[in-house]
Amino acid sequence: MTGTSIGSTAAPTEVERPETHEVAAPELPWLVIVWNDPINLMSYVTYVFQKLFGYSRGKAHKLMLDVHYKGRAVVSSGPKERAELDVARLHQHGLWATMERSG
Amino acid sequence: MSFRRRIRPSRGGGYEVRLSAEERTLLTVLPAHLVSLLEDVGETAPGDLPDALRRLLPPAYTTDPDAERAYVSMTRQDLVEHHRESLETMSVTAKATWLDDEQLVAWLAALNDLRLALGSMLGVTEDELEPPMGDAHRAEWIAYMYLGGLQSEVIDILELTLPDPVRGADDLVPEDHWGEPPGGLRWDGTPMPRDP
Repeated sequence: MTGTSIGSTAAPTEVERPETHEVAAPELPWLVIVWNDPINLMSYVTYVFQKLFGYSRGKAHKLMLDVHYKGRAVVSSGPKERAELDVARLHQHGLWATMERSG
Repeated sequence: MSFRRRIRPSRGGGYEVRLSAEERTLLTVLPAHLVSLLEDVGETAPGDLPDALRRLLPPAYTTDPDAERAYVSMTRQDLVEHHRESLETMSVTAKATWLDDEQLVAWLAALNDLRLALGSMLGVTEDELEPPMGDAHRAEWIAYMYLGGLQSEVIDILELTLPDPVRGADDLVPEDHWGEPPGGLRWDGTPMPRDP
């Protein structure tokens, strides 16, 4: 794990750590991915990215081109609840969005 | 070449709509039909939905069926309601000669929903720009393309109404996240099994 977390200033002590991988998994941010599809208009996808995420027209256009030419693009990231909300908003706008854990 | 817009901002606010009787009939009937298809979808898994609805109610998780079931349980009702509201707004205002901002936003959503439904039924691909000759679904193809033209007009108008970009938002997500085009992916972003 990297970085410091709240409470890390406590004096170091010899702690018996259980040999399990589960507790060691850091909380990775989730990625919201929009996939290319042959139906949605490019101008519509650009419009939706601006409307939902507050991106500039240029940024939204580049993300749309990534979706179109590379098949998919990460359009937002964050904690699971936030990612689920973004996916739901994209679904309401008819975009093909999924989410997956980063890394 | 000049092109007369069918929808345009009205001087006193809102939007003027100039459409033929045939167009208005289409915009009344098609959304009403799609609303009827959306009844009784319940929490049917995305993979088990009919083609016309698959793109309207897509999965959020493609590799975790439990998470997907939870997502559907949490969001399905709202999502169906969202689609229904837009489609019903279009259906009841299809004969109007003037729309307010909210109604035009609903038209945009309804036009997109109709294209998703028709496009999925027709199996539209990136390459097909016109209906195959002699196709049995020629009427649906023509409707699909007509809706795309009208939707483009609405986007041209509504993108002028977007609020200013949020400061710093552009820096939150890198473009080109993976660096290289991902290989072996279908347009629908496969790893999803057809029959989970």
